[in-house]
Amino acid sequence: MLLNLTDLSSESLQSQIIRQIRAKILSGELAAETDLPSIREFARDHHVSVITVQRAYEALLREGLIHSRRGKGFFVSELRENEKHKMAKQRLRETIAPPLMAAAEEGLSSKDIIETVNLILRQKGKKAEQEK
Amino acid sequence: MSKAFEFKNLIKTYPDFKLGPLNLDLAPGMVLGFVGPNGSGKSTTMHCLAGLVRPDSGKSEILGREIDLNDPAWKFDIGYVGDLHVFYEAWSGEKNLQFLAQFYPRWSHEFAAKLAKRLDLPLKKKAKELSTGNRAKLAIIAALAHAPKLLILDEPTAGLDPVARAEFQDVLFEMMADGERAIFYSTHILPEISRLADELAFLQNGQIVLRTGKDDLTEKWRKITFRLSRNNLKFESVVSHQHEGNDHQVISSDFEATMRQLHELGVENVQHSRLSVDEIAVQILKGANHVATHES
Repeated sequence: MLLNLTDLSSESLQSQIIRQIRAKILSGELAAETDLPSIREFARDHHVSVITVQRAYEALLREGLIHSRRGKGFFVSELRENEKHKMAKQRLRETIAPPLMAAAEEGLSSKDIIETVNLILRQKGKKAEQEK
Repeated sequence: MSKAFEFKNLIKTYPDFKLGPLNLDLAPGMVLGFVGPNGSGKSTTMHCLAGLVRPDSGKSEILGREIDLNDPAWKFDIGYVGDLHVFYEAWSGEKNLQFLAQFYPRWSHEFAAKLAKRLDLPLKKKAKELSTGNRAKLAIIAALAHAPKLLILDEPTAGLDPVARAEFQDVLFEMMADGERAIFYSTHILPEISRLADELAFLQNGQIVLRTGKDDLTEKWRKITFRLSRNNLKFESVVSHQHEGNDHQVISSDFEATMRQLHELGVENVQHSRLSVDEIAVQILKGANHVATHES
């Protein structure tokens, strides 16, 4: 499993691990029942402390994205499509709230904000097509 | 499972310095970073653990076994890299290692040879012809080749070039992967342990001033800027405070507590950022408990 962890971020290593594994699960890149590296293997491969990984895994367990089997390690949980959808939406709401509030404080109307969102999605769509 | 090491009320007194009473322990599988200014007693602590210094009083155990200078069998379980690298100067690095090997039942010549290659150490050279950095490499190999359960590393990378330093980091992460080892690591170069360490202990004037999980520390400490039309802030969680007019900046040792209090005061324009382990260490060692207020 390749993750992109960096010290040069305002996000803690623990949150980077949680966010990146969560994204891989929700996008289907990590299929149900895929086994995750053990905590110690993960720590070795990504140069993070054991406790950092342990806490990240615990957070993913609490979110129901992974489960553990005694003596066997950690596995990606089976999620129904609508559950995934709900979680992704919830996640979006949490991450998008602060910049939206900031934009509103700076005087943008909801119309401005929606236009901006649409613009970004259109650009991303174009880019994806160009890459094909 | 016994602790990797444990000090209980350890005291060592010198004419001009007293270490302790020190209470400190470490669980197997964990890495404890040991941080403190020059002369705070880090090396003395490590010398006590490595059996190089006899404490005045207190109990010291390694893997549940009391340190007994007359019966050094416990030394098989420790690997110590310190400030002084003692070798037979007229012998090659290789011969020095072969000599050491006979004292350790778990010594691996294969591991030693591989490590020398990874660290790029010329093993055929005489010890006296080795550079500072290469002597440090030889000391590292000498300390790790017998598969110790507890690594006592006192500024182990002093003199190492960045590539050897990174390679050494890799080796430590690999050694920790089986979960059976522990590392007690003292350094002034905090980025070196900022990812490896699970916990940190801060030593000042021979006393532990703080022992904490590294992630707890980096989660809790924040730099916070905000607007507020008053000047005096006396929060227990605020370690330093400066302001220009109504613009304030504080360093908080407990982000959530500070934020709660700030919101009660009705602050505006709140922004916050995380601090590196390095920045936090400076604040702690400058005297975390007294609040420094700078008027500007």
